[in-house]
Amino acid sequence: MQDISLHLLDIIENSVRAQAKCVKVRVLQNVVKNRLRIIVEDDGTGMDSHTLQKAQDPFYTSKEERVKKVGLGIPLFKQNAEQVGGAFRMASEPGFGTVLTVDFPLDHIDRMPLGNLKDTLLNSIIGHPDLDFFIHLLYRDKVMELCFHFDTKAIREELGDIPLTYPDVIEYIDQSLYEGIQKTNMEDV
Amino acid sequence: MKTLADLKKIREKAQEDLKLRSGNTRVKIVVGMGTSGIAMGAREVMKTFLEEIATRNLTDVLVTQTGEKGLSSIEPVVDVIEEGKDSITYGNMTPDKVKKVIAEHIVNGRIVSDYVVQTGN
Repeated sequence: MQDISLHLLDIIENSVRAQAKCVKVRVLQNVVKNRLRIIVEDDGTGMDSHTLQKAQDPFYTSKEERVKKVGLGIPLFKQNAEQVGGAFRMASEPGFGTVLTVDFPLDHIDRMPLGNLKDTLLNSIIGHPDLDFFIHLLYRDKVMELCFHFDTKAIREELGDIPLTYPDVIEYIDQSLYEGIQKTNMEDV
Repeated sequence: MKTLADLKKIREKAQEDLKLRSGNTRVKIVVGMGTSGIAMGAREVMKTFLEEIATRNLTDVLVTQTGEKGLSSIEPVVDVIEEGKDSITYGNMTPDKVKKVIAEHIVNGRIVSDYVVQTGN
């Protein structure tokens, strides 16, 4: 994976497979604390402490049907964060869901770029139109705080029986995310 | 700035549209979005499908995504599923190939056999 957004896309896919109904994604850029924090929270099946431990092992996968027992998504993300002095944490409760928090030092020269956050979010939303996505982007430095909220529930209410996958709606979501990313300085991070 | 009010207009237009074609999905496109697919460019492939659908206003085509399918060596992988027909799996997809699949297969009904890696099921 070349950037954090691609990891994010991968991690959201885990939530989907865990039968989540709602996925919350937060990207918090805190210049004061020199920290780029990604939080993904779902209300899926969750994991017990044993599975949670195993999920960080590259030779573990929850997919029973798989011949090759390899699951690299989580271990790679963890490695990429820890390699630059960041942190990776997962908490989970069977029946309630999973929260994943990944921190990167903002100014580290070897930190992977945030990458194309817009396409990651757009793909996840349109690729799973029955799920609710709650997106929160926050930028903070010494003098200001900029934030952006995006909630598919509000859009769905407005649209009634028109699906999120309708062409004009895709364009609308794409444009909204673009504006939010611009507003919170999440481009070229 | 996009606001929720914009959605009202979209809704009105879409309702007219859906009335005309009784609201059915003609083709379903499924992009493999597992770890290896993503690493090989599945996000750009999916994005290109979404762009093409929006610009060509293909209201009867649905793009969705799925996890790993065990075809890691030929990722990104895309399934094209049509009612009453064998499903077609395209492999080693790129944004340019997506544009061709949209123009040939999705719009004109001609399978792009050069990119096909699997048919059926």
